[in-house]
Amino acid sequence: MAFEQTVSVQESLRRIHDLQPELNAAVTVIDDAPETGIPVILKDNISTKGIRTTASSKILDNYVPVYDATIVTKLKEAGFTPVAKASMDELGMGGTNRNAATGPVHNAWDHDRISGGSSGGSAVLAARQAAPLAIGSDTGDSVRKPASYNGVIGVKPTYGRISRYGIIPYASSLDHVGYFTTTVRDAAAALEILAGRDDHDMTSSLEPVGHYEAELDPSLEGKTIAVFDTVADAVQDPVIRQAFADLVKKMEAAGAKIVHVSMPEQLMNLIAPVYKTIANSEAAANHSNLDGIRFGVRKPGESVEDVMTASRTAGFSSYVRARFVIGSYSLFEENQDRLFRKAQKIRRLISDAYAQMFDGVDAVICPAAPTVAPLLEESSDVRFGQDEFVEEHMQLANFTGYPSMVLPMGRENGLPFAVEIAAKPFAEQMMFDVAAGMEEILEETSHE
Amino acid sequence: MSKYKTTIGIEIHCELKTGTKMFSGAPVKFGETANTCTSVVDLAMPGTLPSVNKEAVRLAIKACTGLHCDIDPLVKFDRKNYYYSDLPKGFQITQQFHPIGRDGYVEIETEEGSKRIRIERIHMEEDTAKQFHRETGTYIDFNRAGVPLVEIVSRPDMHSAEEAAAYVDTLRQILLYLNVSDVKMEEGSMRCDVNISLSADDSLGTKTEIKNLNSIANVQKAVAAEIERQSRILDEGGRVEQATRRYDESQKTTVLMRKKEGAVDYKYFPEPNIFPIQLDPVWIRDIQDSMEELPAARRARFMKDYGLGEYDAQVLVADPAMADYYEEAAKAAKDAKKTANWVIGDLSAALNRDNRTFANAGVAPEHLAQLVNLVADGTISGKQAKTVFEDMLSSGKEPAKIVEEKGMKQVTDEGAILALVTEVLDANPKSIEDYKAGKDRAIGFLVGQVMKKSRGTANPKRTNELIREELAKR
Repeated sequence: MAFEQTVSVQESLRRIHDLQPELNAAVTVIDDAPETGIPVILKDNISTKGIRTTASSKILDNYVPVYDATIVTKLKEAGFTPVAKASMDELGMGGTNRNAATGPVHNAWDHDRISGGSSGGSAVLAARQAAPLAIGSDTGDSVRKPASYNGVIGVKPTYGRISRYGIIPYASSLDHVGYFTTTVRDAAAALEILAGRDDHDMTSSLEPVGHYEAELDPSLEGKTIAVFDTVADAVQDPVIRQAFADLVKKMEAAGAKIVHVSMPEQLMNLIAPVYKTIANSEAAANHSNLDGIRFGVRKPGESVEDVMTASRTAGFSSYVRARFVIGSYSLFEENQDRLFRKAQKIRRLISDAYAQMFDGVDAVICPAAPTVAPLLEESSDVRFGQDEFVEEHMQLANFTGYPSMVLPMGRENGLPFAVEIAAKPFAEQMMFDVAAGMEEILEETSHE
Repeated sequence: MSKYKTTIGIEIHCELKTGTKMFSGAPVKFGETANTCTSVVDLAMPGTLPSVNKEAVRLAIKACTGLHCDIDPLVKFDRKNYYYSDLPKGFQITQQFHPIGRDGYVEIETEEGSKRIRIERIHMEEDTAKQFHRETGTYIDFNRAGVPLVEIVSRPDMHSAEEAAAYVDTLRQILLYLNVSDVKMEEGSMRCDVNISLSADDSLGTKTEIKNLNSIANVQKAVAAEIERQSRILDEGGRVEQATRRYDESQKTTVLMRKKEGAVDYKYFPEPNIFPIQLDPVWIRDIQDSMEELPAARRARFMKDYGLGEYDAQVLVADPAMADYYEEAAKAAKDAKKTANWVIGDLSAALNRDNRTFANAGVAPEHLAQLVNLVADGTISGKQAKTVFEDMLSSGKEPAKIVEEKGMKQVTDEGAILALVTEVLDANPKSIEDYKAGKDRAIGFLVGQVMKKSRGTANPKRTNELIREELAKR
């Protein structure tokens, strides 16, 4: 049974408090949470009625939602008890979790390294077993990258599989609810709880939710697994390369049919600029509601317009403001054709190429990240034009909405790295099955 | 008449008559306490998402059909981005790139006959909140935020104040008949922005926009005033400045609201939270097949079925409740034209006086029909009918009963009338002399005397004839 290894709510709260000086992972600890239930950690962009929800932005420092996100209701109904609101990159914008109003979150296994982001707080708390389930959101690998850096499972299901109602957005067409667990079985069980049509989210799917846990089948026999060569070949780290090669070999030995797929590098190199153009444009509009008028931190001003300007100037970090400027610039009438609309067109081309890799295969796998977690002082989110596709490739699943998850694949000097498993839309059962098969192999390997 | 060619285009915003808002479940009600008809979606609380109101789409389809537009069965929405305190999200969800309706028209009646005004597009969107600027600060009522709207954009096909007013009125009637909107200009459920430009040749002049017009009469007055203002500027060799203006009723002129300083860039882009919605053609057809009769069709039917003139048909149809009342009455009446006269004349005046409406007239349509029939039968005179009608208004009784109670039956009995005639002639020798001397109006006096003696019950036509016959004998 899933979530058998859970800690009590009280123990969970104690662990979160104990970890706080080391990890700086929680924005709000829900000390008065009901004592019953399975503890769950929520990223701080998930609306919780009566509980402060800041999205790690100063402008929402005093914001207390009057409603629960759909997934919060679902979690409570399934017997879960929220115990903490976890730190994130401000409004989801970032991949390091350095850009949070409460300061950087530290890697679960090395204080000098980044947790990754934007769901960094949830990732490190899950990794240190403060709770068996932590919820995040994934706009451009924001669950899966920190999962890889911290050695936990990170899942991003199909777009529309989980309602986004009540999640403070980043970029609506790329945003997904995702989550962290420590076993594939828990991951399968969690999706059954979280998934399903929600009339409050018109993009949520009517596709029936599977019995992912009950039907979990770790057998790799007869499954066709595609190795995503374009990414796998671009990884430089010899430890990660070797671990991945070993895994593939063992999967083949376990009965999987291994094939190789690739994408044109020309398209791969466009992932980052296309992602940033679309994400920043949508974000600039999405966050226009944060003006200090109806909620949030209001700064004084002579007129309503002055109040808005003052509140937004003081309420966002310069990094976020820069993204809004870039987003607005891409949307200006005179720029849209060569920026926003062009990015949308290229997104379609990339998506078509990505979809082709899934022809006749059950899952596509590759290393999740090319390195272990970088050092805090060496990492940066400000690196326009310097992105390499080997870092950004997991955004392909955000472009297309395909389900994707990462599974810890090994450690290098004590620091985790992971393998990514992607499947066809709504083929989460297959994704979990393959992951379960890999999990068995990796467990045996670690005992060798 | 101006020596300039006037070109007018009109944009109309209509609030749709739905129970809930365009993208949330909050109720749509007018005149409620501020900020009581809102939801987290309307207030743009972080994390909320829009859900399209199906009823709003249904009403928009009716509007498109009534205005002869092509319907785009793939419904898409876009974001219009701008910061303003009445716009909670910082963007409005509208249909910039794919309006639900395109290329329609309406027929308006002008002095030169009927004329077709083309409609460029109809699109759905959400209303903004309402702001109140007071000395103590700006107050915002979010009850209106998110109310479903359709915006109807005409082609610049109008060329006079009369045409502009006729267009707005025609549109108003159509939307009212289709139950698409309340179309109350005074309450803001229908708002129109009029664009006007003048030119000495065939080119288009610089246009001004008049906003916040609160009645059809004011549309006409404002356009006339603006034409006059622009003509004067052009006469003096000046240049019209592109600006937004409003109509000042007391000054009877348009006044400047704000200058247009370059076009605002709204950074439109497709709304990512609403996937395109493919409408079921069967659903669209069902909506169209069960649509209410349109005003033009009803007018034609009234003229054909009830033998009414164009004017009567127009007056009746302009008010759907009045037209409904008339039809009820006309069905039971022996004289449809006389029934129309009653409805348009006495009944309208009485309802107006008593602050009532046709939906709640106090006089049942069948009773009015009965009254018409009593006159047609010759049971009572037209004059008596007026008295009976007043009684009907105050008592609600049926006319036959009133006639009976008051003993008002018209006397048509020759003998009885003749006796009165003889009595009156005997008493008025001076009038007989006058008549013989050629003063025909003496007859009127004598008829009046007979009517008086009969307390109005004598049949006036027969009385008149008998007096003439008797005078000829004397």
